Amino acid sequence: MKTWHRFAACIALGLVGGAAFAVHQVRGDYADKQVHNGQWSANTNQGTASASALTRAKVALNGLLALPAKEAMYFITRTDSEGRPLEGRCTYTVTGGELDARWWSITLYKGEGWLVKNAANRWSVAGNAPARDAQGNWSFTVSLNPTEGVWLPTGGTPHFDLTLRTYHPRGALLNDPANAKLPTVTRKACA
Amino acid sequence: MIRNWMFPIIAGLLVSAFAWQGVLLATPYALMSKAMDVIGARAPANSFAFGALATADNQPIVRPSPDLVYSSCVFDVSKGPVLVDVASVPGHYWSVSIFDARTDVAAVRSDRDTGGKPARLALMKTGQTAPQGYEPVTLQYDRGIALIRILLSSPAEYPVVDAIRRKSTCKQV
Repeated sequence: MKTWHRFAACIALGLVGGAAFAVHQVRGDYADKQVHNGQWSANTNQGTASASALTRAKVALNGLLALPAKEAMYFITRTDSEGRPLEGRCTYTVTGGELDARWWSITLYKGEGWLVKNAANRWSVAGNAPARDAQGNWSFTVSLNPTEGVWLPTGGTPHFDLTLRTYHPRGALLNDPANAKLPTVTRKACA
Repeated sequence: MIRNWMFPIIAGLLVSAFAWQGVLLATPYALMSKAMDVIGARAPANSFAFGALATADNQPIVRPSPDLVYSSCVFDVSKGPVLVDVASVPGHYWSVSIFDARTDVAAVRSDRDTGGKPARLALMKTGQTAPQGYEPVTLQYDRGIALIRILLSSPAEYPVVDAIRRKSTCKQV
């Protein structure tokens, strides 16, 4: 093999390998300033000039035009409380207590973050929708078919994620999101 | 044998590092440029597009919130400052955020920051001057997106909120 053949082969491999690794990272779970809390993850550095190239690329792909943390914290989960991927054929109960923010909602997305078609034309549950018990706890159901109480349809999409938006977060939600009290997503049954 | 491959392998590793970093650096610009094209098709540059509520059939950008009403302006400060006047929507969370071409947030002002008063921002690059009464926001890039978010407690509020938000303007000086 000639010298230039060796250079050409290595440079071509480097080009493809470097680009492929970048795409893999952008689509993967890791990012700097990524906070994990149970099954939820959030990024505290998005939208800021100090964000790394990887964080900036990930946010551009999965949440373009997202607000910085002091304005809104976004928590995303793609799994239930036992780590199993969220599936559109299954029924889940989402339970939680009061969240220390001005307003919150939980929205169901497929893929990189797209609303799912469903007959009810419902894509999110706002914080004021579920009834509270005496302790301030609430719950709602995520499932393919309608249920009693507050219901968020999966639209039958094979896999989905849930995004918890908290606007004007305060306390642990803003300052210690890894230890803030967040909702739990429990799988009940699968069709 | 090993000596024959040493320099090609080093060259390959260097190229892979550049390719890796290049893709990471280019991704935000590329996706923001695409978003500006999509939003820019809904209204001319330096003017607000007042979008309908996000639904499964109306998702101009990734991960939209169906609880928020979005108004967006693709701005270009290359020929002078762009003034953003945001009408206050009493009793509702609202904010205006300024994103540059790299997706960084140059400024965010919400009803909490303004005390319920309208927001008045002058988007400009270094060397330009903000008119009196406008808060200057200096940008690193000529182009970007100004985005207004208004929270609805229920879709029934949409007509009233829609009428108010249409008083907001984005215009070149």
